[in-house]
Amino acid sequence: MAAPPIESGARVPARRVSHTSTGRVLAESIRMFDPRREVRHPVMFTVWVYFVFVVVFTLFPGLFPDIRASYDPVYCVAISLILFLTLWFSHLSESIAEAQGKAQADSLRGIKTGARACQVLPDGTLRKVPSDTLHIGDTVEVRAGETIPLDGDVIRGAAQIDESMMTGESAAVVRESGGDKTSVLGGTRLLDGTVRVRVTSAQGESFLDRLIRLVEGAKRSKTPNELALDTILASLTIALLIVILAFLYIAEAFRSLSPSLVNIATFIALLVSLMPTTIGALLPSIGISGLNRVAKANIIAKSGKAVEAAGDLDVLILDKTGTITVGSRLAIQFVAADGVSDAELLTYSLLASGSDDTPEGRSIRRLAAGRGGQAPRLEPGTFRLVPFDAHLRMSGVVLADGTEVYKGSIEAISAHAGGFPAGLRARADEAARAGMTPLAVVVSRRVLGIVVLKDIVKPGIQDRIHELRTMGIRTIMCTGDNRLTAEAIARESGVDEFVAEARPETKIDLVRREKARGSLVAMSGDGANDAPALAQADVGLAMNSGTSAAKEAGNMVDLDNDPTKLIEVVSIGKQLLITRGALTTFSITNDVAKYFAIIPAMFVTAAGTIAGGVALLNVLGFTSPKLAVLATLFFNALVIPLLIPLALGGVHFRPRNAIELLRRNLVLYGVGGLASAFVGIWLCYQAFAWLGAQPGWVPVVGWVAQHLAGGV
Amino acid sequence: MSIDWTALAEIGLVLAVGLGLGPPLGSYLARVYLHRPAFGDRVFGPVERLLYRLLGVAPSEGMRAREYLGGLLLVNLLVGLWVWVLLLTQGHLFPTPPGFAPMGWDLALHTAVSFTTNTDFTHFTPETSLTEGAALLGLLIPLFLSAATGLSVAAAFSRSFFRKDGTLGNVYVDLIRSVTRVLLPIATLAAVVYLLLGVPDTLVSYVLAHPPGGAPFPLFLGPVAPWQSIELLGTNGGGYYGANAASPLATPNAGVALVGTALMLLLPFAVPFAFGQMVRRPGESYPIVGTMLAVFLIALGLFLFWETPAHLAAAGGRFASPIAGSFQLTSIYTNTGATNLTIGATAPLAQMDLFFGMFTQSTPGGAGTGFATLLVNLLLAVFIAGLMVGRTPEYLGKKIGLAQVRWAAFILLVHPILILLPTAITYAGGLAAFPPGSLPPLCSQGYCATSHQFTAILYEFTSEAANNGSGYGYGADATLYFNLVGSAVMLLGRFLPILGFFMIADGLSTQESQPAGSGTLRTQSVTFAVYLALILIIVTALLFLPVIALGPLGQIGG
Repeated sequence: MAAPPIESGARVPARRVSHTSTGRVLAESIRMFDPRREVRHPVMFTVWVYFVFVVVFTLFPGLFPDIRASYDPVYCVAISLILFLTLWFSHLSESIAEAQGKAQADSLRGIKTGARACQVLPDGTLRKVPSDTLHIGDTVEVRAGETIPLDGDVIRGAAQIDESMMTGESAAVVRESGGDKTSVLGGTRLLDGTVRVRVTSAQGESFLDRLIRLVEGAKRSKTPNELALDTILASLTIALLIVILAFLYIAEAFRSLSPSLVNIATFIALLVSLMPTTIGALLPSIGISGLNRVAKANIIAKSGKAVEAAGDLDVLILDKTGTITVGSRLAIQFVAADGVSDAELLTYSLLASGSDDTPEGRSIRRLAAGRGGQAPRLEPGTFRLVPFDAHLRMSGVVLADGTEVYKGSIEAISAHAGGFPAGLRARADEAARAGMTPLAVVVSRRVLGIVVLKDIVKPGIQDRIHELRTMGIRTIMCTGDNRLTAEAIARESGVDEFVAEARPETKIDLVRREKARGSLVAMSGDGANDAPALAQADVGLAMNSGTSAAKEAGNMVDLDNDPTKLIEVVSIGKQLLITRGALTTFSITNDVAKYFAIIPAMFVTAAGTIAGGVALLNVLGFTSPKLAVLATLFFNALVIPLLIPLALGGVHFRPRNAIELLRRNLVLYGVGGLASAFVGIWLCYQAFAWLGAQPGWVPVVGWVAQHLAGGV
Repeated sequence: MSIDWTALAEIGLVLAVGLGLGPPLGSYLARVYLHRPAFGDRVFGPVERLLYRLLGVAPSEGMRAREYLGGLLLVNLLVGLWVWVLLLTQGHLFPTPPGFAPMGWDLALHTAVSFTTNTDFTHFTPETSLTEGAALLGLLIPLFLSAATGLSVAAAFSRSFFRKDGTLGNVYVDLIRSVTRVLLPIATLAAVVYLLLGVPDTLVSYVLAHPPGGAPFPLFLGPVAPWQSIELLGTNGGGYYGANAASPLATPNAGVALVGTALMLLLPFAVPFAFGQMVRRPGESYPIVGTMLAVFLIALGLFLFWETPAHLAAAGGRFASPIAGSFQLTSIYTNTGATNLTIGATAPLAQMDLFFGMFTQSTPGGAGTGFATLLVNLLLAVFIAGLMVGRTPEYLGKKIGLAQVRWAAFILLVHPILILLPTAITYAGGLAAFPPGSLPPLCSQGYCATSHQFTAILYEFTSEAANNGSGYGYGADATLYFNLVGSAVMLLGRFLPILGFFMIADGLSTQESQPAGSGTLRTQSVTFAVYLALILIIVTALLFLPVIALGPLGQIGG
């Protein structure tokens, strides 16, 4: 995956299949031969039925008097073996994908504790209860060092919480009652403080439980897309079955012409190699590994459908703050008023921002210090800090001598100072028009100058937005800022559209408007306000730090709280669909070569020549019919493990427009499928023939190959 | 090998005319089916309004898929029954030709089904088994109606891509307008051209010819020119003569064959252009027409290459010219089924070529239905290609979901089942009505003869399942078994896919259309057209190569 580099470093541990699970993968791949499990995948189930049939035919040829004439034990055993391999390779791919999920599930399950919780009874008394007796609506008290029993909202107190076991993020997060930072996850640990938490999830339905089930694939149901593809593959299989059955039946009448024509094992080999076994075998693992990739990006998708929907998105609604910009404005320039020295402005800017611990304030101090500004050391007790006041809209400090140093918006300062230098105002207006925020610094009601703050667009966001546009996805930026600021950021980041002065309900209106146009919409959010919009959106990515309501409403939750992840999810969704389409095309074009290999082999007459015009099809120049059939069937089986990495990792995906993608994938998987089968089958044939010519080398294989090459 | 450049140039000219008329005729068809003001409103308008009033049809009333399909089936059923009854009673109602051989109930049934389903497979010799009355009052109706049915299906299917209220138009209005606005005017024009080229047109059913030194014999005449024009225009293929287009009266000269070739190409290639106009994206017709044209031209080139003049002479007697070959291939590929060669006597690879056209049914296929079939293939291609570009597949802004894919797969399955099951049962069950002696002396014995017999049966059911109607040319297939099985194959081969088309249209016609972005798969691109053609060819080959190997390929050498 080229687009968004997904770091998997110190996140949820054990993301790879370890050595210990190799045995489990193998055992699971054998267990999948159980017909009750096999029947879920129509194509592979058909192969399974044929496999059983060939085995029975091989062991008890007497049961089939009509076709016994063509019985050749070595050949039949070879076919059975390859059919076994075909099935086994398919199981292997699925069980590897599942094992990746299971490894995650196991590490998550380790978090779950059977600990006791301290329940707050309605009368206010506390009681120790086993945490698995808690219900939705119960309140528990959790103290420092304890583990939170179930998902819930903090209703009293504040605490730092270690969520690293869930998110891999080592920095503790703060959760407190009220506001948008109330939700806590079951299984996370309190580092300090005491909080009361109201349980919001039922037993077995907590976030952790759902996460475990999801990665284990227990709740995975087929998506509509998968069902549709399954339908195509199944009907192709049925059609081929009818074709081959009719062929077999008709060929009975041609029996006198060619003994190899009516070999039942050959027919089954033809059927299996023509069926779309490649995509059929890999389809389950593609779906599972798509979810795994989402999980690897530390996102929990509540269904596979949501991941697929992500690939379909037309519109992304992005918050300006935190998604497009770093989230705070930074100082970039000082402009001194006429007759004021730069040094004076810098000094008072430092003083005015001394008490301002917001990122903006810090950035002013940093810039002023960087420009050589120096502030006098203030002795404790000699000054009075004036914190930001929403009414006055300024903040600053009153020095011992009564000097008032303030900084604030131009309007606020202008009112405070009773006027504003015209030249400076022009500069301030200019900055505002460019989408920046000018703040004025005033000392004793004398305006010294302005500090220009600018919203800083996240590094690389322009490229991301450009990629999205290439993929045909429109981006809409949503911000509470004024039009000018919004426009400037929109221009700089390259979003297609923006909504300024957004109110809480703006997002839901936006989602509704876009959906009414028939677009698929995604958005991210964390506040309780966002919940209705998250629920309405086709893909709603909730932040893990957000409220429970938001997390309930969204169909994905990002454990890293990074709204930019929406873009990664889009890539993963597309990759998932592309992998399916590419392997289906590969499967179909692969078949051409198989026909050219097997059909001539079925028309070899007793004299050893190919009957009639069928010789025209023998472009590969095979002379031994049985080796040709085995080579084709073997190649058909071999393709599956060779493509497992592709199925698990997804095809290489770089954002580009649809027609370029189609052209590229058509050449790669269409033409590639066509050519690779000719080459592959030819190589398999030559390898078998070579083995047949080396009787002393690998005695058994050599003997089999020799036997087959000889006997028509 | 000398190449008949003049003939090839004439063929090229005719193809250019037949295909070049596609876009303007397509625009006209779109006007007809969108009820826009069109040429001829003043003449046809009052006639149509009168017909609506007589039939009690409210022309403004939009029908949903089920209602539309119901009306279509009802009209076809009534016409089929009418023809069947007329064929059974014709001996008592109308003057009979000399040597009249009345049809049994099964043969009459086969004939009625055959004409109603646009197949026009004839298990009988019209000269002796068909009275002029039954022809003009009976079979002539389905010649128009079955073509109108095909056009209406295409119109209704097309509407589902731009409507969202669930209605697909009014079936009675579409049928009537297909006849009054399209079939009748063009057929009349073509009949005049035929007349000028020397095709007979009279109500005299026969004259006695007195060859020098021989016994007098009846020379069958009749309204051959108008019959032939609607028969070819409507991709029907049921000729006025038993020898079909091979009869010297039906095809008195090469010019007639050339006009016939253009006539057959007219509607199948105009319908996709009409579709592009109807959905207001004319570019969308290019991948469809492109795929039809590419496969058709390749098939034509190969056919003329394999079916050398010498071979043509053997297969067609009088017609040792590429013009005859191009007429034959066009007739098969448009599912018309008119024949001027003995198909069973053509080169085996040429036979394979003809089979391929009946297997795809859509390159270009019959009027309306060929387009609809290709559109279903296109939807499947869009589905896989759509996945390949990472989007839930959509076409013209309509999502291709599980329901559409399910019915598309159903349509895909119908054809091989209808061909292979009866073929296998008939051949391996020893029900073959093709005694070895009836086979041409291309090859003497053994494998080749077996392959030839097999091909004859395969051809019979392929022609019927595709609603093509051409015969292989050997064998006695007018038996109870072939009549009944054939009737079933033709009915299912015609109406099961139509059922599928309407089920797909039903889902699409209620969907809101989505705006296209740059992430949407653009179907009007060369890349997609190549993909569509590739999928069509490979899947068709995948399903039918084994029987081709047993049949036509088996006839080579020996």
